[in-house]
Amino acid sequence: MFSFNIHGVSVSNGIAIGKAHLISNALLEVVHYQLDSKETSKEIKRLSNAINDVKKDLLRIKKQLQKNSSEEFIAFIDTHLMILADKNLSEKTKKIISKDNCNAEWALKKQVDFFINKFEQIEDEYIKERKNDVIQVVERILKVLLGHPNQANQINNESSTILVAHDISPADALQFKKHQYAAFLTDMGGSTSHTAILARSLNIPSIVALQNARDLIKNNEKIIVDGDQGIVIVNPSEDILEEYQNRKNLWKIEQKKLAKIKNIQCKTLNNEKIELLANIEVPSDIESVKDNKASGIGLFRTEFLFMNRKELPDENEQFKIYKSVVKAMKNKTVVIRTLDSGADKLTSADTSISSNPALGLRAIRLCLLEPQLFNIQLKAILRASKFGKIKILIPMLSSLSELRQTKLLIERAKNSLDNKKILYDKKIKVGGMIEVPAVAINADMFAQELDFISIGTNDLIQYTLAIDRTDDRLSHLYNSLHPAILKLINLTIKAGRKYNKEVSICGEMAGDSKLTRLLLGMGLKHFSMHPSRILTVKKQVLNSNIQKLKPLSAKILKTKESNNIETLIQKINQ
Amino acid sequence: MIKKKIKIINKLGLHARASSKLTQLACNFSSEIFLVLNKNKVNVKSIMEVLMLAASQNTIVLIEANGPDEKKAISEIEKLFNNFFGENE
Repeated sequence: MFSFNIHGVSVSNGIAIGKAHLISNALLEVVHYQLDSKETSKEIKRLSNAINDVKKDLLRIKKQLQKNSSEEFIAFIDTHLMILADKNLSEKTKKIISKDNCNAEWALKKQVDFFINKFEQIEDEYIKERKNDVIQVVERILKVLLGHPNQANQINNESSTILVAHDISPADALQFKKHQYAAFLTDMGGSTSHTAILARSLNIPSIVALQNARDLIKNNEKIIVDGDQGIVIVNPSEDILEEYQNRKNLWKIEQKKLAKIKNIQCKTLNNEKIELLANIEVPSDIESVKDNKASGIGLFRTEFLFMNRKELPDENEQFKIYKSVVKAMKNKTVVIRTLDSGADKLTSADTSISSNPALGLRAIRLCLLEPQLFNIQLKAILRASKFGKIKILIPMLSSLSELRQTKLLIERAKNSLDNKKILYDKKIKVGGMIEVPAVAINADMFAQELDFISIGTNDLIQYTLAIDRTDDRLSHLYNSLHPAILKLINLTIKAGRKYNKEVSICGEMAGDSKLTRLLLGMGLKHFSMHPSRILTVKKQVLNSNIQKLKPLSAKILKTKESNNIETLIQKINQ
Repeated sequence: MIKKKIKIINKLGLHARASSKLTQLACNFSSEIFLVLNKNKVNVKSIMEVLMLAASQNTIVLIEANGPDEKKAISEIEKLFNNFFGENE
């Protein structure tokens, strides 16, 4: 057994050591057998039994879901049950078995291929996607036929099992939530995939985009998942294993220590209050926001409400979600960012995909082009503002005219609520994201017209350095300590100070405890990050004296080389 | 046999949830029920066939029902179409 590493994209931090549990892609396993014509009736019976087993299984899942899940998920299982009952699947497959004298698996694959082909010819992108539902149902039947039904259910509840799959479907995700996996690894996916969201909500490490990990890793092989660096170590040597065991223990001890500072007020040594806020994606993230004692929500990414679903959420649905979040947060701030995805993520909008989506029609650009869609979201946010302290955040501004247009649309949304005598917070604050370099350079102009500013460092780095964040081959060039990036952040913080407007950072940099002191020294007072990062950053804040950090921060801002900057960062953290 | 033309008025057309509801309803009747669009004729009792018809908003489809409860089947299906498949729009 030789040891090797596989690199992927880390979507949830932490370290896990355990045995691999492979979830197969049943369609790829199917092989062809010729049967004796006398055996076909037995084979047909085998298929019927398998379909019946899957039906029982789906009904069982549905029953469990009815207790505590949204209708959305139940409707999803219903569609699967109907596909399962469809004669086009069962009866036609049976006909293939008797006509071709082949095994049930092969006949089923042949029939599903026929459907996939037909679905592929559909022009409506959304209906075309439904082929995945058919595939998922067929996968379930195949797994029963192949003798490994519902692998997720079969595993023991040992907490050191690591799930290795090609991809995780939403239905799988629901199942996996109940089992205590130590980590998730998938060949596919990005930071917004089901896998990523699920792993973060369970607080276990996860690495995605591993390409062919499922082929390279064998079942029950020992693996280390380093979710901090995005590395999977297969069959580690004793030395490596020991080192990671130590790191894992240290991590646990560190977590325990951090828990102790939860209830301490977040102040620096020189008595400056610092606000640590949380970034959330779905309302269920609030649990971890409260658990880590965030002082509010600095970024609610609403695009997740629009993804992975069949229709766009209407005003009432959005209103209910925003209201539930703001009520759960009591009187703490909730910054709601308006839709920040591209047209490709929306079900009914224009789905033409540009060759460079990061620079394309997305975020506020899309919202201004689709004012109806935007109006629905604005009205929903405004209505929820009656129930707490909501602020509106506009993503991806690149010019003042966009900001003015947006404000006009907000006024219109307010007017239409006034006409209906619906109450809302009339003084609701409107802030802007600074992520396009053009805006950072002119931060003082924007600061005059905005109520608050939030720096989105992930996109700011991508746009300033002209590096595609999703291209692995460029990842060595993606550098948050590039002098130009620090300069733009500094310009923005200064502009906020000049016009007395709050400035926060809500990108990855805010949650990186190595950078906390530098940012404090630059004058940042508000940090918004993934809830799991809050306590680590808080520890840094509690041990820092801003007055003492200022000279070194100023020196870092004058440094020309990233390498030298890194040396100085080490110094500032001592 | 009864035939009737119906216009699809809901925004997303025969998308997944609408198709599910249509198939569910159709399965309650003993009559054979078909949906015809262009040259395609599909069995309404099959979710996959209905989905693959990919009928969008404002298309006019022909519904055919043949059997003892054909009258009721057509009127109930028409109601479902005109009720935006029970979704809020």
